[in-house]
Amino acid sequence: MSTAYRLNVAGVSKRFGSLQVLDNINLQVAPSETVCLLGPSGSGKSTLLRCINWLERPDSGRVLIDGQTIGVTGGVVMNDRALAAMRTRIGMVFQHFALWPHLTVLQNVMEAPLHVLRRPDQEVRAEAEALLRRVGLFDKRDAFPARLSGGQKQRVGIARALAMKPSLMLFDEPTSALDPELVGEVLAVMRDLAQEGMTMVIVTHEMAFARDVASRVVFMDRGSVVETGTPEAFFTSPSTERARQFLLRYGSASSF
Amino acid sequence: MSAADWLTLFSGALTTLGLSAAGIALGLPLGLALALLRWARVPVIAPMVAVYVSVLRATPLITLLLLIFFALPSVGITLGPVTAGVLALMLNGSAFNCEIWRAALMDLPKDQIEAAQSTGMRFGLYLRRIVLPQIARAALPGLMSEMSLLIKLTPALAVVGVVDVTRAAVRIGAATYEPLPPLLAALAIYLPIVYALVSGQRWFEKRLALSEAVA
Amino acid sequence: MHDFAIVWSERSLLLSGLANTVVLTVLASIGAFALGAMLCPLLMRQERAVAWAAHAFVDGFRCTPFLLFAYLVYYGLPTVGISFDSWGAGLFALVLYHTAYVAEILRGAWAAQPKAPVEAGHAFGFRGFGLWRRIVMPPLLLAAGPVLGNQVIQIVKDSAFLTVIALPELTHAANSIQSRHYVPFAALLTALLLYWALCLVVEAGVAAVGRMAEARR
Repeated sequence: MSTAYRLNVAGVSKRFGSLQVLDNINLQVAPSETVCLLGPSGSGKSTLLRCINWLERPDSGRVLIDGQTIGVTGGVVMNDRALAAMRTRIGMVFQHFALWPHLTVLQNVMEAPLHVLRRPDQEVRAEAEALLRRVGLFDKRDAFPARLSGGQKQRVGIARALAMKPSLMLFDEPTSALDPELVGEVLAVMRDLAQEGMTMVIVTHEMAFARDVASRVVFMDRGSVVETGTPEAFFTSPSTERARQFLLRYGSASSF
Repeated sequence: MSAADWLTLFSGALTTLGLSAAGIALGLPLGLALALLRWARVPVIAPMVAVYVSVLRATPLITLLLLIFFALPSVGITLGPVTAGVLALMLNGSAFNCEIWRAALMDLPKDQIEAAQSTGMRFGLYLRRIVLPQIARAALPGLMSEMSLLIKLTPALAVVGVVDVTRAAVRIGAATYEPLPPLLAALAIYLPIVYALVSGQRWFEKRLALSEAVA
Repeated sequence: MHDFAIVWSERSLLLSGLANTVVLTVLASIGAFALGAMLCPLLMRQERAVAWAAHAFVDGFRCTPFLLFAYLVYYGLPTVGISFDSWGAGLFALVLYHTAYVAEILRGAWAAQPKAPVEAGHAFGFRGFGLWRRIVMPPLLLAAGPVLGNQVIQIVKDSAFLTVIALPELTHAANSIQSRHYVPFAALLTALLLYWALCLVVEAGVAAVGRMAEARR
């Protein structure tokens, strides 16, 4: 039953010092679902996201990608190589882009398929160029990231993640670091991805986007999942008081 | 190592400290003067200073010292080893100091000087009362770094016969056929001196960073 | 002028001295950069004992005069059984001494680097040597270019100290010419100018690295 899920987070907890950042989180994501993680800052959304590809290590619980546990094999922490291999199946887009500054846009997109997956240069180049066309940045392929706007950098970040042909994409507040007028171009790319059937888990504050594109929203507060449901259900009639308070404060923000 | 050996070593250490102090004391104002000449863009002289600094920063102290000690007599200036040594340290140090002072001068906001000029202050006055106090603070960490580098260069003076602590150690080793103990003793003398300077430099850097953060 | 003619007649000795200086510098730079890059991570390790030992190594060399260290290697080590000829001692001393400086330079440059691109490297499946070579080192070297170039110039100048252990580098050659032919000014000034030329070459290299860094900034 659990192997039908693309992502299965089972009983994940984590503390930082005396702070319980994640408290027994359970989350299942089916293939082609788009799940938006919402909540006030400090709710643990980003930490949960980063536990999925083990950039943060959960203290307890398991994370399974397509039925396979990441980070732990048979009760023992995975070695470096196995962990890296699993990460190649998960794409990640970072809040501050995290593009590699010494490489051009095209090289950024090609780097991991070429040097981690060791795929042939011609193939990788052709696919990278196609991806850049898709996100509208083909003419910037020879530029260095420092010359790009925030919105352009993030679109490259998305192309870079797609180049690995992941079965799951993680987005860590992808538009939070962008000037408002640049947010739209990134959300447009993400919306297309969702419509094409990519399985996505997105931490975001863009309520209108979540309402429009998510197949499910998960509301977190102080380390727990407080409420989950369809966007319509959540945004029009949330069932918990905390969700209601949150929507009162943030729900009216719409930029898409 | 006998007591006499230790005495030789410490006398060498005094020579090291004395020559270093002299080289630093003379090199600092010379470096400042050179920096001011370049900063003020004095025609003809400023580019010459640039060349001087470039050549001296590229020259090993030993080579410079040999040049001063052996070449000057042919133009009538005969210097003793100690004088030649201090002169070499002074010239070498001045080139490096110049760059540190220059960096501090260039960091000084232009409006500081404009403010001074607008009150009627002339160059000599605002240099003394406005510019120098500020750049002295900014330049201090770099200058302390230079001082520790200068002390580490003093063993070069042995090639013209100055008996510094390193030369003393080598001599003792040659006489006793046990080179290791005196060399290690010399090392033990250098370490605290240089370490004190390096620690002082780090302390000043922190203080500078803190006071700039507050400002 | 006649003096310079004498120096010119001895140019093969001078040039061989220059060549030795260049060889020493190149080999020592490669060695110091490689070992320094390996030592650098140890400076930042979590295990206190490892980090402390690495710091002690670096601080120790930063407080030691190079010439004293060269003497220790050349005269001191034979008494505990390790014998070097001038070349061996000279190279060994240059490499070990400057490893400490390079490690500290790289540590400082690393502290100033943004961490997100490295984390992205991990997220994309990079690890170990591949991560270090393709993701960590290139921006680090670009950022540290000028300081590393300065260190190469220091290596050039420290190589001149090795004349005291009879290594036939440039200063040794110039000194030999000036003492045999009584042409101190001509011989040593020529040496000075050759050192200056070497330095300008290194600075040109640094400028090239600086332009690469600027394009990516």
